[in-house]
Order: sequence, then structure tokens, then C-alpha cells
Amino acid sequence: MQASVATTSPIERTVTITVPASEVDQAVNARLLETAKTVRLNGFRKGHVPMAVVHQRYGKDVRNEIVGEIMRQHYVTAVTENELNPAGWPKIDATVDEAGKDLEFVATLEIYPEIDLKPIDGAEIERPQAEVNDADVEEMIETLRKQNATWTDVERVAADGDQVNLDFEGFLGEEAFEGGKAEGHELVLGSNSFIPGFEEQLVGAAAGDEKEIKVSFPADYQAEHLAGQEATFKVKVHAIKAQELPEVNAEFITQFGLEATDVESFKVEVKKNMQRELKNAIENRVKQQVLAELTKANDILVPQTLADQEIDGLKRQAAQQFGLGEDFDVSQLPAELFQDQAVQRVKTGLLLSEVVSSSEMDVSEDELKARVAEMAQQYQDPTQVTEYYTSNEQARNQLKSVLLEEKAVDKLLTQAQVKDVTMSYQEALQAAQQQEEAEEETAEAEGEQA
Amino acid sequence: MNQERVFKVLLGPHMTEKAAVAAENNQYVFKVASDATKPEIKKAVEALFGKKVNSVQVLNMKGKTKRTARGVGRRAGYRKAYVTLAAGETIEDFSGAE
Repeated sequence: MQASVATTSPIERTVTITVPASEVDQAVNARLLETAKTVRLNGFRKGHVPMAVVHQRYGKDVRNEIVGEIMRQHYVTAVTENELNPAGWPKIDATVDEAGKDLEFVATLEIYPEIDLKPIDGAEIERPQAEVNDADVEEMIETLRKQNATWTDVERVAADGDQVNLDFEGFLGEEAFEGGKAEGHELVLGSNSFIPGFEEQLVGAAAGDEKEIKVSFPADYQAEHLAGQEATFKVKVHAIKAQELPEVNAEFITQFGLEATDVESFKVEVKKNMQRELKNAIENRVKQQVLAELTKANDILVPQTLADQEIDGLKRQAAQQFGLGEDFDVSQLPAELFQDQAVQRVKTGLLLSEVVSSSEMDVSEDELKARVAEMAQQYQDPTQVTEYYTSNEQARNQLKSVLLEEKAVDKLLTQAQVKDVTMSYQEALQAAQQQEEAEEETAEAEGEQA
Repeated sequence: MNQERVFKVLLGPHMTEKAAVAAENNQYVFKVASDATKPEIKKAVEALFGKKVNSVQVLNMKGKTKRTARGVGRRAGYRKAYVTLAAGETIEDFSGAE
């Protein structure tokens, strides 16, 4: 076997391999002999078909099969001999494939880029500093109450914040338009879920009232034939309901599955949860910034095969998000949509693993155990969680890679300049979210430039 | 013999164990039209394969009798020809003939 490697681009190689004809023919003949023993042909007893006939009938198929096998085998040996690090499976094309001639084929493959890791010295990372104070806890409890609010009928005119049960039918001039009709609709006034002006005009209505409401659709309304039009809605109000917030008492607290039912310990628990959330948000925020800096400092080429794999995953995620169901064919989604995001992800992944391997990080059993114990605390049945991780190798490995990633980020953090920024609880949470959105936008912007 | 007849004489190769043995002795077996004569077959083989034919032997294969609930029936028979080529001649691709 002869193999020669040519570099066509920094991450692409073509390997040309020649295999002597005798090797191929030998393999083909050996396979034909085997088929001759089992093959059934009209006019012949089983096992009595002459080789000449078998050759004539099956020669081509067997040869194709053998050639495919030989190409794969020799590709693998060539790759190990030349110490290539292929990303994904190559494209193999036979250039000479004829009986009696030396087999020659070209494998085009992408290799993992060689990463010369540049430190992110001097990069500024903002680390939010925030505390959960009592006001935040109160606010959170207020939100919880609103989520569990009940609506009760009241005998008075509707006010802002009330829920109104109504029938409505919309007219453009004299004609009713499609989608403008509903019966028994529950509308919360002031929730801005309807056209601007609609909810305001309902304020002051009482149960049993019939009203005509004149509104104009905003110019950028999503239904084009309605945008900017004047419309009249005939409305019949059935009931006015006022929001009733539940009291913070034992009954309310037991809904959240807590053991203690007094208000004080509830507050403590809420605060604990919020602190955990805050910690996560801050960690995320810092991590995102570090990764962004890392990819900025190290611009590497990403093998398209890896990006394609990532695109597949993203497509599946997207399909799930849109609720397209299990049997939706994800290949229908255009790949270009995900290209930039996928490249970005692969890039970060490659760089992070390089950070890990270059500084020879490892996660010890003790560290793993400590993390499992920490995670277990968040659940109601800690022993079950611990058991899950001790018995499940896969879950352990996953956790291990998470820990490795954290270590890598920590190491990168020591290179960067960390600036502490004080902000409130709400701001810290929002900042982490905004960052995610901003990142997606930059990815899109980059795509446009390219 | 006209050109049209040449294509009508040979119906196809007859590949069996016996025919495979015969092929080693330079004899090739064909199914032929039931009204084909030895000279016709000789000419047809020479024209289609471009080989010199030494001699031709023919026989009629009877169809098998088959009994069904409707009584006794007979399958179609065919005419078979053993064509001996002149010494040194061979037919390489003996399967795709008309």
C-alpha cells in the first residue's frame, strides 16, 4: 500500500492511496469461493455451481463490496501511519477501480485544527456582585402570590386589573371579519393582550352590559388586511372578576412542598433558592464572557463535518422548541439558519477541550463526590440522586466534563482581569439573560458579514 | 437466411450443470426456436458471436406433465441445441445472448 497526503487547506487533507491489484483480486476470489458454496442458481445443485459461472454472476457486486472494505481499511491505516486527527468520516472516491489494475483512491478528510492556545491576558471580565435582600424576597413572594391568584365574581363595574368574561364580534364597517369573534373569552384588563384601546374602553362596564367599542388596529398589526383599519367590536360582558391574592399562610406554603409551614422559614427557603439562582446567573455570566473572550483571542477554522453534526443537534432542538413532534423530518429545516451558531459552538468546544488538555486538568473522585453531594441537596430525596450518580457511568462522565469545563473557565479567569460590578439582584439576573441574547445577535451579525 | 431470421433462431443461453461441463469442452448450449434447423443455428451463432462453428446437435425437450384439480396439463417444451465451436474458439460472456 502506498499513501501520500496532500494539504489542501489548513484543516483539509487529501490522502491518495494505491493498493496493488493482487491484493484486491485475492480478496475478491476468496469471497467468491465462499459465495459459490452457498449460492442457489436455477439449473445447478447447491454448492455445485462452477466458479466461472459464479464469477460471471456475482463478480461485479463482490468486487464493489471488497473494494469498499479495502478502501476503508487502508484509509484507517493510512490515517494512523500519517498521524492525522480526522474530524468525522472522510469522502472516499475511487480514481482507478478496474479488475487487474492497481486500485487507487482519494480520501478527502477534515482534521481537527491544531490549536495554538493564546491566553486572554488583559481581557476585562465583569463579575456582577449582588445580594439578595429582604425587599427582593418580598417581591418574589408577591410574584408567587400573583401566580397563584384566584378570580372571584364581583358585583361592581370593571376596573383595571380585573378579569372580564365576554363575547365579542369585530366588524370592519358593516362586515364581520375572520378571527374577530369569540365567546366566553377571559380578558384581564391592563394585560395589553388585545389591541391598544380595547381594554381601556371596557373599564367601567358592568356584568350584563352590551357595548360597542371602536378601535383602530395598529399599523404594524400582524394580520395585514387589518393593519391600520378602524374596527367596531360588539361586546357583551358576562362577568367581572376581581383578582384575589392568596394569603401567605400555611396552606399557601404547603403548595410548594416545604416541610415547615411558618412564614419565617418559608422566607428563608425562598431566599436560599434565590441565592442559588443568583449564584448560577453570576457564574453563567462570567463564563459567557470568558468564552467570548477566548473565541475572540483564538480564531480557529472549524471542520465543516463537526459543524454539520452540531447543526443536526440544533435542528432537533429547534424542532422540539417549535413543538413539531417526534416524526418531523428535521432535514427540512435549512442548514444555513444554524451554520453560524454551530460554528461558534464547535469553536468554543474545541478551545475549551484544548485548555483542558494543555494544562492537564483532571477531576478526582473526591471532587466528583463533593459535587454530587452538593447537587443532591437541591432535591427532596438526596440519597436517590447520589445513588443515580454512583451507579450510572454515563451520568458521572457527563458531570465530570461539566467540572472540567468549570476548571477550564476558572483557569482562564486567572488570566483575565476581573472587575467586580455591584448591582441588584434583578439587574444581575437580567444581565445574564441579556448577554445570551447579545451573543446570538453578534453571531448573526458575523454571519451577515461573511 | 435473411437477417431477421438470425435474431429469431437463438432464444437464450441454457445454463445448467451439464451445460457448464459442456462449455469446458467447447460446446455451448442454447435454447432455440422450435422450428430451427441445424444449418440455421450454425449461421446464427456465427453471425451473432462471430465464432466459427464446427457442428450442431439438436433435441426437443418435452414439457413436464402436471396434474391439477382440473385434470392433466402439459408445460411448454423447448428445443435445445449443443453448438460445438471450432477448436480454439470460445464464447466469453455466455449469458446475455438474445
